[in-house]
Amino acid sequence: MTRHLLFSALLVGGVLATATSSATAETNTTTRVVPSKVAPAVPQRFAAKSTEEVPDFQRHVVPLFSKLGCSGRACHGSFQGRGGFRLSLFGYDFKFDHDALLKAAADDGPRANIAKPSESLMLQKPTETVAHEGGLRMKVDSWQYRLLHKWITAGAPAVSKDAAKMVKLEITPSELVFSRKDEKVQLKVVAIWSDGTREDVTPLTRFKSNDDQVADISQQGLLTSGKPGDTFVVAFYDNGVVPVPVMRPLSDKVGRNYPNVETPTQIDQLVVVKLKKLGIVPSGLSTDAEFLRRVSLDLVGTLPTAPEVEAFLKDVDPGKRVKKVDELLGRPAYAAWWATRLSDFTGNNDDALNNVVPSRNRRASQDWYDWLKDRVEKNVAYDRLVEGIVMATSRNKDESFKQFSTNMSAVYRGEGDKAFTDRQGMSHYWARRTFRQPQDRAIGFAYTFLGIRIQCAQCHKHPFDQWTKDDFAQFQGFFTGVNFGINPKTRTEYNELLAALELGDKRGGQQRRAISEALSEGKTVPFQEVYAVVPKANSPNKGGRAGKAIRQQIKKLQQRITTLKADAKAKPERAAAFKKQVKLATQQIAKLKRRQKQVAQQASRRNRGRVASKARLLGAEEVDLTKFADIRSPLMEWLRRKDNRLFARAFVNRVWANYFNVGIVEPPDDHSLANPPSNKPLLDYLSQAFIDHDYDIKWLHREITGSRTYQLSWQPNETNRLDDRNFSHSIPRRLPAEVAYDAIQQATASDSRGVEMKTDLEGRAIAIAGAGRRLNSRNGPGYALSVFGRSTRESNCDCDRSNEPSLLQTVFLQNDSDTLQLIASNRNGWINQVTGELGIKPARRASGRVTPEMLKLSKQMKVLRRKVVAARAAKETKVAQKLGIQVRNLQADYAKLARNRAVPKSSGEKLADLDSTSIVKQAYLRTLSRFPTEQEMTRSRSYVEGSEDTTQGLRDLLWALLNTKEFIVNH
Amino acid sequence: MTRTKPKGKKFMALHATCDGVKRRDFLKVGALGATGLGLANYLQLVAHGAVQTGKATSAIFVNLPGGPSHMDTFDLKPNAPEEYRGLFNPIQTNVEGIEISEHLPKLAACADKYTILRGVSHTLGAHALGQEFVNTGTRPLASLEYPGYGSVITKERPGLVDLPGFVAIPNTRQKAGFLGVKYAPLNTGSTPQKGRPFSVRGIALANGLTITDVEKRQSLLKDLDTTFSGIEKDSQLLDGLNKFSRQAYSMITSKKAREAFDISKEPAARSEAYGDAAFGQSCLLATRLVESGVRFVTVSTGGWDTHRDNFGRLKDRLLPPFDQALAAMLGDLDQRGLLERTAVFVTGEFGRTPKINSRSTPGGRDHYPRCMTMLMAGGGVKGGQVIGESDEKATGPAGEGISPSDAAASFYHNLGIDHTKEYHTKIGRPVMIVRDGSVIDELFV
Repeated sequence: MTRHLLFSALLVGGVLATATSSATAETNTTTRVVPSKVAPAVPQRFAAKSTEEVPDFQRHVVPLFSKLGCSGRACHGSFQGRGGFRLSLFGYDFKFDHDALLKAAADDGPRANIAKPSESLMLQKPTETVAHEGGLRMKVDSWQYRLLHKWITAGAPAVSKDAAKMVKLEITPSELVFSRKDEKVQLKVVAIWSDGTREDVTPLTRFKSNDDQVADISQQGLLTSGKPGDTFVVAFYDNGVVPVPVMRPLSDKVGRNYPNVETPTQIDQLVVVKLKKLGIVPSGLSTDAEFLRRVSLDLVGTLPTAPEVEAFLKDVDPGKRVKKVDELLGRPAYAAWWATRLSDFTGNNDDALNNVVPSRNRRASQDWYDWLKDRVEKNVAYDRLVEGIVMATSRNKDESFKQFSTNMSAVYRGEGDKAFTDRQGMSHYWARRTFRQPQDRAIGFAYTFLGIRIQCAQCHKHPFDQWTKDDFAQFQGFFTGVNFGINPKTRTEYNELLAALELGDKRGGQQRRAISEALSEGKTVPFQEVYAVVPKANSPNKGGRAGKAIRQQIKKLQQRITTLKADAKAKPERAAAFKKQVKLATQQIAKLKRRQKQVAQQASRRNRGRVASKARLLGAEEVDLTKFADIRSPLMEWLRRKDNRLFARAFVNRVWANYFNVGIVEPPDDHSLANPPSNKPLLDYLSQAFIDHDYDIKWLHREITGSRTYQLSWQPNETNRLDDRNFSHSIPRRLPAEVAYDAIQQATASDSRGVEMKTDLEGRAIAIAGAGRRLNSRNGPGYALSVFGRSTRESNCDCDRSNEPSLLQTVFLQNDSDTLQLIASNRNGWINQVTGELGIKPARRASGRVTPEMLKLSKQMKVLRRKVVAARAAKETKVAQKLGIQVRNLQADYAKLARNRAVPKSSGEKLADLDSTSIVKQAYLRTLSRFPTEQEMTRSRSYVEGSEDTTQGLRDLLWALLNTKEFIVNH
Repeated sequence: MTRTKPKGKKFMALHATCDGVKRRDFLKVGALGATGLGLANYLQLVAHGAVQTGKATSAIFVNLPGGPSHMDTFDLKPNAPEEYRGLFNPIQTNVEGIEISEHLPKLAACADKYTILRGVSHTLGAHALGQEFVNTGTRPLASLEYPGYGSVITKERPGLVDLPGFVAIPNTRQKAGFLGVKYAPLNTGSTPQKGRPFSVRGIALANGLTITDVEKRQSLLKDLDTTFSGIEKDSQLLDGLNKFSRQAYSMITSKKAREAFDISKEPAARSEAYGDAAFGQSCLLATRLVESGVRFVTVSTGGWDTHRDNFGRLKDRLLPPFDQALAAMLGDLDQRGLLERTAVFVTGEFGRTPKINSRSTPGGRDHYPRCMTMLMAGGGVKGGQVIGESDEKATGPAGEGISPSDAAASFYHNLGIDHTKEYHTKIGRPVMIVRDGSVIDELFV
C-alpha cells in the first residue's frame, strides 16, 4: 500500500499551506563557516550570454525548477511524472533529478542535450518552443533560460559527493511590524554554505504567506501589508524553510499607549510582550464561578458540583484558586482524564491490540490505560513515564520466561497483589498490530513523542520542514530492534508451558480460547512478549552463494581481460582479434554486474526484517547500534538530551492546547519549520522550565492554571475580539466527548449521586480505557461518545479527536431518549429528588413496566441462553458461539425497546404557591456552575411556577439549561 | 455490449494529445488539480460532450457486506468447467443479450433499468479493507481516513434543513473521516418491519412528548441561552451551535421528518411489493426518504460471505429477498419519476472464488477481489447495458478491468460532483475525493 503524502500544490501563484518557525535552516554539518562576500543574485550573473560562471545543479538549477513550478505536485513532481518526465517532489533528490534530465526517456531522448544545448527539451518545453502541457514557464533568453542553457553547455554537471551543504538561510528583515495598509518591503534571502560562500538567492526562493489578508507576498519577495493582525511569511530554498513574522497592530494601543496590565507570572509577561506589539489588550480576570467551572472541566474533566460552587464562591481566601487546583490534582478524576489524553497521544486502540494478551476477560487497552493512570496519579516524571513506554519489554528486568508467565497469569486472573500497573514497562505500545513495521513505528514515535509529522518524508522531502527521505530512512533503523511474539530464545519454554496445558491439536482461534480458559482455571499459560533483538556485527549481505559465484566470475573475466590486453601488446599482428575478445568479456562483465545488482537488491529485501546496525537521529548524529543491548536506548537518551528541542515541547504544547483551545503551535501535533509557534519565547520558557522541574507534570498544570492568562475572562474587548491565537482572552470551546457525556450525567444526577461521582469513576466516560470498533455499539456511552467525536486513536493525529459541533450532537442533547430519560429518571435523578422534597407524587415508574414485546424477547433470550449452556456442555463451541450471537442481538433489541419506552410519566400535579427560587438556583449551579442572573431567575421561576404540571416544568428547566450553549462549552 | 476498458477513459481526449494541447491556463487554475485537467479544458470537454454534468440529486447505496458471488448472480459462466460454473443457470433478461442468474427473475424482468459492471477488480481480500474501499472509492490508506460517499455528498450537496442529509439503514461502514463529525451518518440502528411504525433515535418525538411540549421548552431555552449573544458572530463554534440548534428543532418538530421514516404510512400494496424481509422494507424506507428529500441513503444487508454451502444459501435465503426488493425499488423509483434524479449503486466488497471449494457439499466460494460485479442505475445512467467483461472462468477481468475507484468516480459524476476535487485535511494535505478513479463514460452514453 502506498502511503504517499502529497502536500499542497506548488502551483504558480500559491505555494503550500500553513505557517512557520523563526529557525533558520541549519544542518548538522560542522564545517566552520568563514564569512565571505555575498555573491549577487543569479539574474545579474547569468543574464548576459557571455558569463563564464557555471551554474550549480543544487544551488541554482533545482531551486529554479521549484520556483518555476516544474517540480510541483501537479506537474513533474507528481509520482506518475507528467508527459513522461518526473522530478523529485519538492526537489531534494539531486541524483534522481539529474538522472531524469540526462538519461534518455523512452521516446524523447534526454531532457538535457549536451551536444546541442539549445535543442534541449528542458529549454524548449518551458519556453513553449515545442508544445508544453504546462504552458509557458520562461522566455527564451531570459536569465532563467540563460542559466539553464549555460548549465547544459558546461556539460550539465551533477552534485559532487563532497559538495558544500547549506548551513543557514538568512532573511532580512527578520521581523516586520507594519503600521498601515499597503506598506511595501522587499525581502532579501541569503544562503550560507558550508564552504563559506554566501549568495543572494532571493530570485530562486519561493515565498508564501500564511495569511495573505495580513501580509501578501509576491514571488519576487515583495511584501505588502494588509489587514491588522499577525502572521508569518515563509521562504523556501534548498532544504531551508524560514518563517518571518509579520505584524500589524489591531489598535493604536502600542508602545507608550499600551495600558498597564497585570502580569504576575512569567507566562503572563511573555504573552503580554507579544500582545503589546499587536496592540491587543487582554480581557479582565474571570469571575470565581467561571474559573472554577473552567479549571474543573480542563483539569479533571468533571463539572463542579452545586455545593462545591457555592463553597468556592463563599470562600474569601485570596489564595483559593491555587488551593482549588491543588485539590483537583489530588482527585482520581485527574489521573483518569490525563490517562485518557495520554492514551490518545500514545494510540491506545483495542482494534490494534487484538490477541496481544491471551486472556479474553481483560483487555490490553485496560492495561495500557491503568498503567498510565497509575503513573499520572503518582506524578511520575514525564520523561520516566515515556521511558517506561519507549524502553518497554514485556519481561521485567531479570525475569525468566517461566517467572514472567507465572506473574502475568496471576495478573490476568487478578490474583493477589499482582497488577499490570506494577510492570516496569508498558509493552503493549510495541505490540500493536499497526505498529510492527519500522516505518510505522518511526511515524508513530515521531507523532507521539516529538509532535512532528515525518510521514511526508517517507516518500519525498517534507514540504514544510527540514526532513528529507534520507532522514526518514536513517531514522527508521532505531525501530528494527524490538519484536512482538514468541521469543525465539525461550521458544522451548513457551512450548513446554503450552504442552502442559494439554490442548491437543487446537490451533488459531480455538487454541486462543482454550488458553484463555486454562488461564482462568488457574493454570500458568505462556505469554507472547515484546522483546529486544540485538543487531549482528556489521556485515552487509552481498547475496549469499549466488553473489559469491557472480563475484568469482567477474574476477575471472577481469583477469582474462588483463591477459588478453597483455597478449595484444605482445602480438600486435593479432591485436584486432584480442580486442574483440576483450570487448566480449567487458560485455559479459557488464551483464554480470547487472545481475549482481539484482541479487543484492533481493538480498536487501530479505534483509528487511533484520536489525539495523546503524541509524541516524532526526537532525542529529548517526549512531552505531551494535554497541547497544537494546537499540532503543540511544533513542531514549536523545529524547532527554539538551539539544532535543522537540520532546518537552511536544508535551508542553499539547497540555497548553488542552487549556487554551489552541496550542502555541497549532495544530498541537504539527511542529515544523513552516508552522512556527505563535509565541516562541513562551513555548521556549515553558519547555525549558518543564525540563528544569524534572518533567514534573503537576508543576506544568499548576504553572499554566496559576497564570493570569489562563484565568482571563471570555468576554472580549474591542482590541482582542478577533484574536484566537495569542491568548488575550478565554475562547469558548466545546467540551471533549467524554467530559460532555459525564457532564450530562452529573448535571442530571441527584445531589448525593453527584457527590459520589466526584470520586467514584465507575460509569464515567473519562474512565473508559480503549477506543475502537467495540466501543461503537449503540448501547451505553459508545453512541454519544462517537457523536461527540471521542478520539478514535487510529491515525497518528491529534485530530482523531474532534471538538467540532454537529447536528447529531444537538439532536442528542435535545431529543435523544438517553438524555430525556436521564432528566426524568426515577432513580438517582435530581428532578426526582426535588419533586420528592416538594411532596409531589412520584412519577409513574414507566421504566419498571415491561411491555409485551419486551416480555416476548426476554422469554426468547431465556430459551436461547439455556441452549448456549447445553451447547457448551456438549463442547459444541461453534454452535454455542452462534447462539451467543443471537442472544446478543436479542439483548440489543431489548435494550432498544427499553430505551424507547416513554420516560417516567409525571403525576401531572400542579403545586400551588410554589416558590422555586432555590430550585432554580440549584439548577443553574449544577449545570452552568453559577447563580442565575435576576432576569434568568424571573423567567425560570415564572416558567416553573406557571407550569400546569410542576414536574414537567422542572424537567423543562433542566432540559433548557442542558441545551444552552453555555452548558456544552467551556469558557 | 461488453467492452474492455480503454486507458484513461474519461480524459482520453486529453491524454491522446497530452503534450499537443496548449493550455496556458493549466497551472493557474489548479482547481481540478493533479489529474492535469485544467478547468478550461474540463469545460471544453463538457462542451464537447465528453463529460456530462450530473443528473442525479440524491442517491441510494446498497451495500452487500460479505461479498456476493459474482458468478452466481450477474456474471454467470455456463460454459466454464464444472468446478467453476456452479449450480445455477443463466436466464434471459428483458434486454436482449444480457443474461443473469435464474434466481434473480424479477431483476431479469427489469434489466433495462440498470447497468451491470462486470470484471470489476481490486486486490483487497479482507472484509474490512474491501468494505472501506467500496464505501469510499479510494483504496484505504493507513495514514488517512477517507470520508464515505454519504459524507462527501452531504458536504457537496447540502440538503433540507428539517431532514438529515445522510441516513444509514441500519448502519454503515461509511464514516465522515477527515471531513469531521459534521458529516457523519444518522444510523437508524434497526430495520423497519412491514406495516409497523418506525422511528429513529433522536429524530422522532418519542417519550410521550407533543409538539406543544417541545415548543414550550424551546421558548424557555431561547430566553435562557443568551450568555454569549454578544460574541456569537465572532465564534465559529457558537455560530455553529446556533445553526444546529435551529436545524435540530425543525427536524424534531417537522411532520415531514417523522413521516419520512414511518413506513407504516405506506399503502399495503406498495409495501408488499418490496417483500416482508428486513431488506425489502429497508429499501422501501430508502425510497421514502429520497422522496422526502434526503440526499443520501445507504441500505446494508449482509450474509453474503458464503464460504460454505454457497448455492443453498444464495438460492434459499439470500437471492429471493434481494431480487424482490431491488427490483421493486427500481420499479417504484421509476414509476414515481424519482429514478432519473436518484443515483443507485449496488455492490459488495468483492466477488467470490470462481473455483468452488470443498468445505461443504455442495461447496462454497471464498473471498475474491480480482473479479466482481456491481450495479448502477438512475440519474444519467443508461440502463440495459453490461459494461466490462470477465474472462471465460470469471477469474479476472478480460482486459484491464474496472476499479472500484472508477465506479466511485462515476457515481459522483452521476451526482454532478467532480471526483477530482481536492479537500484539505486538518494538516493541510490536499486530497482528491477519489484518488485514482476515472469516470466510466459508457455508463452515461
